Amino acid sequence: MFRAKRRTVVTSAAVAAVLLAGALVVTLTQGSGQASGVTYVDGDNSQQVYAAGHRALAPDFTGTSLTGTPIRLASYRGKVVVLNFWGSWCGPCRAEGPTLAVLSQQYGSKGVSFLGDDVGDTNANALAFTHDVGISYPSVSDNSYSIVQDFSRVASVGYTPTTVVIDRTGHIAGLVIGTVSVQAMTTILNDVAAN
Amino acid sequence: MTDVHTPREQAAAKGEETSPFRITGTGPDESGTGAGTGQSGWLRWGWRQLTSMRTALVLLFLLALGSVPGSVLPQQGADPGAVQQYFASHPSLAPWLNHLGLFNVFAAPWFAAIYLLLFTSLVGCVVPRTFKLAGSARTPPPRAPRNLSRLPHSASYPSPLAPGAAVDAAAAMLGGQRFRLRRPASGDTGHWVSAEKGYLREVGNLLFHLALLGVLVSIALGGLFGYKADKLLVEGQGFSNTLGALDEFHPGRLVSGSDLAPFSLTLNRFSASYLTSGESRGQPSDFNASVSYSPSPGAPARTYNIRINDPLSVDSTKVYLIGHGYAPVFRVTDAHGNVAYSEATPFIPANTGTFLSDGVVKAPDASLGFMGVFVPTAVSVGGTLESAFPAADFPAVSLIGYSGNLGLNSGASQSVYQLNTAGMTKISGSPHLMLPGQTWALPGGRGAITFVGVKQWVSLAITYDPGQVPALVCGILALGGLLLSFLIRRRRVFVRAVPATSGGGSVVTVGGLARTDASGGFEEEFAELAAELAAGAGAAQPKPEPNNQSETGA
Amino acid sequence: MSVNLGLAQVSGDFLIAAIVIYSLAVIGFAGDFAFGRPRRAAAATAAVASRERAAALATVGAAQAAGAAEAPSAPAPAPADAAPAETAEAGSGGAGAGGTGADGAVPVLPARQVPALRAVWEAGPWVRAAVAFSVLGVAAHLVAIVTRGFAVHRAPWGNMYEFVTALTCVAAIFFCYVMIRYRAWALGVFVMGAVVVALGLAETVIYTAAGPLVPALQSYWLSIHVTAMTLATGIFFVAAVLGVMYLVAERYRARVAAGKAQPDNGLLARIPSAAQLDKLTYRTVVFGFPVWTFGVIAGAIWADQAWGRYWGWDPVETWAFITWVLYAAYLHARATAGWRGRRAHYIQLLGFASLTFNILVVQVFITGMHSYAGVG
Repeated sequence: MFRAKRRTVVTSAAVAAVLLAGALVVTLTQGSGQASGVTYVDGDNSQQVYAAGHRALAPDFTGTSLTGTPIRLASYRGKVVVLNFWGSWCGPCRAEGPTLAVLSQQYGSKGVSFLGDDVGDTNANALAFTHDVGISYPSVSDNSYSIVQDFSRVASVGYTPTTVVIDRTGHIAGLVIGTVSVQAMTTILNDVAAN
Repeated sequence: MTDVHTPREQAAAKGEETSPFRITGTGPDESGTGAGTGQSGWLRWGWRQLTSMRTALVLLFLLALGSVPGSVLPQQGADPGAVQQYFASHPSLAPWLNHLGLFNVFAAPWFAAIYLLLFTSLVGCVVPRTFKLAGSARTPPPRAPRNLSRLPHSASYPSPLAPGAAVDAAAAMLGGQRFRLRRPASGDTGHWVSAEKGYLREVGNLLFHLALLGVLVSIALGGLFGYKADKLLVEGQGFSNTLGALDEFHPGRLVSGSDLAPFSLTLNRFSASYLTSGESRGQPSDFNASVSYSPSPGAPARTYNIRINDPLSVDSTKVYLIGHGYAPVFRVTDAHGNVAYSEATPFIPANTGTFLSDGVVKAPDASLGFMGVFVPTAVSVGGTLESAFPAADFPAVSLIGYSGNLGLNSGASQSVYQLNTAGMTKISGSPHLMLPGQTWALPGGRGAITFVGVKQWVSLAITYDPGQVPALVCGILALGGLLLSFLIRRRRVFVRAVPATSGGGSVVTVGGLARTDASGGFEEEFAELAAELAAGAGAAQPKPEPNNQSETGA
Repeated sequence: MSVNLGLAQVSGDFLIAAIVIYSLAVIGFAGDFAFGRPRRAAAATAAVASRERAAALATVGAAQAAGAAEAPSAPAPAPADAAPAETAEAGSGGAGAGGTGADGAVPVLPARQVPALRAVWEAGPWVRAAVAFSVLGVAAHLVAIVTRGFAVHRAPWGNMYEFVTALTCVAAIFFCYVMIRYRAWALGVFVMGAVVVALGLAETVIYTAAGPLVPALQSYWLSIHVTAMTLATGIFFVAAVLGVMYLVAERYRARVAAGKAQPDNGLLARIPSAAQLDKLTYRTVVFGFPVWTFGVIAGAIWADQAWGRYWGWDPVETWAFITWVLYAAYLHARATAGWRGRRAHYIQLLGFASLTFNILVVQVFITGMHSYAGVG
């Protein structure tokens, strides 16, 4: 009798395990909510601001700008950096171009430097866009997404466009996924500049 | 299985693969095991129904039947484009099929219900049988029946030894062949020995069924922690394995972007060779993507040739060569002569035999867009541009130009392979044919486009599946269990000896039966065994009698 | 390396020769069917009774038979000449020796089989000719396949024509083994006839000239996966023919039992009994099922190498799965009361139908990654 009870327990446990495994197979083979086929986002303007002391260190990078001059992130220490990941092929990036151009003019004198990270692009195409839209700040050429890869370890830089705000000590203070609006950027920048 | 029972008693003792339950659909009262009415009775009844062989059969049929629409209808997971086409060509039928989940059968809840029920039934059967096997391994074989000649295989031979000694000799022989033996106990009469062998058969059976369960779990593992991604690369281009870089990303439930292995890879060169003569002219003979890769940022670069059956393995992630095509290089200048676009533009093959390809060039900074056809080996067929051979022996491109607003600056996402011509005007002179090096100066001073040259692109699949190796191991275990259960037979041999009616010695009868004999062969085994026992019995040689026709023939 | 056209031609010629020789074998089997020694039929029926009991006991699960109290009555011991070597159609008459042991001085042992070649010789001139032609046909068939392999410098099962050629060779070889081991030449007309028909179709409808493989097939897995599938298909081919014959024999048996047909109806009495065919079919499927399973696993490993995933519900993969499930259902049915006999064989034939559908329809007409048929 005791044996029968133990058998029942073991059998029930085994059956429960099967049902669990099966349920897992069913739910997860549907894929998660993350979309596929689209690596740039429009309309999903999620923003994150990180309080001082909870900021990840932005990974340093060296590269060449679209015009061939060397760029190094560490050389911007002491200034607030707005790092915008973009590509000339990307609709939402093109839409936010004029905004970034205006903002860079506005905040340039306030110790905020703007920097672009041009992904999946050729220098010619990128330069055509920046000239067209009036962006004068440099962009580092990142055709193979290697800088994106470094940043994605410490922040959710997975979509194009994404804009990262780095404080004076080189830590990531804020993040905007999707097209930036003047409002969102001014809020973050004022917040960061104050610290 | 412990003692000799009547068939009825044994049938009532459940779990036998050969005697499913007598219950044919009536309520729990007729269960035969004394289960009561009420909830627990109904549960027991339902459980027995679920774990019966009949239910397993029905579920197997349903599993097979349910898979059929998954193979004849286009499936979302494999070819979403074909699903769209089906909707277009069957506008009234398609939504109904969609409601039934027939465009994604293998992820549908009803399909899952079938295999979940099947596996539940399997477990409900296998676990008790495992206990039974453990039990039978401890209990000895049953006593020898009285009349061995009623068994399916029987033989008899004389022995000069007394019955007890004759049985001992037989037992020694059987023991030497690794049979488990049972001798008479103090309360038993007669001289006999029971022998049983072949327990591994059930072990194999159980192993097979449990291994199938293991395969299911492995699939679940892969689905939870694995991912698949696609990336298209033009010769000379590279990418780092990060979410933003991938063209498509299908993660498992518990996978996030930071779980991607941090390698980077550059496509140095892609070469494809095709047969140039004979009946199969144009058939590809080799594809080779020569890449350099670095397993992690800063690690030294290595090289590899990715071929169709030869993926690159980085850090348990695999990179496969899935497809390829041509990327003609264009340079577009705007009305002022400034370069607005300069890039190798991937064109998608419309014909996988000749590689006639379609593509689009978007130069929003010059307000120009082009759509066109690229052919690797240009030939004119009745005025239409066609491709005669898949290699880029004589490339040409034919473009239709558009001028106006491409719609990119408004921020909407667009496919890079499609041009939105609403709001654009066609440029006169379209379509315009170009050979490499030629420039088309657009009328009205709008600008110019130059066909610079041709590069190739490859599409790579990046996959990570932690359930892959466990699934293989379980598959091999299943195969092993299957072979065990088919090759090994559970069999019993009984030997009885009675004193001879005349002269000294005894008459020994041997009986044998095989419980399940999938691969056959017990007849021969028994014949061999009987002959060996007879020969080992002593000096008496079997007389040539009807049973020895083997030597004389008819 | 380019195709050796001379060898390809030789391959084609030997295949035609094989078809002709197989046809002669079919004529031989048919001749034995029609004109073979009548003595076989009578002896076969007697021996069959005891063997049927053995078969019934073996399949029902003889744990019950161990209970002496309920054991069925002992069979009439088969007459002494009931098991002459040539009629032991399915193994030695194990139950033929039903001695009670009363006459203890005489050992009564189960008959051991007459050597195979002797059995063939004693079966009569028609059988001798048919077996000889079958073996000769297999030889020619093998030469055709091997020369094709040398002509194209790879394993010769890279498209549908080559696949059908190879699987019919497997079926023929397997049948020769079954026929000689179980003395089952009565089945020859049907199995070899089916082989001839299949080869004829291969030569005419789905013929593909010898050529190299597309890169996707250039892998040593071709030798492993397609070989296993070829073997399994050939074996299931034989099982299907046996299954059809079982249904015919079973119907005849039922009609005889109901008094609607004569027990010695010439043609039908010459084929093995329903019980024998049932056992033979079962053993054949048991042989083929692990090979099919192995083939599916090997295919999954290759799919992972080539396409990046070991299972993607590609139409051919799905139908291979359906086939596997149906044969599994057959094996389960055979152990389920009420599902043995005709129903189980319907399932088995359904499984073969799905296999055939997979080869002839799915691979050709339904686009997927498996479209290497080379047809059309």
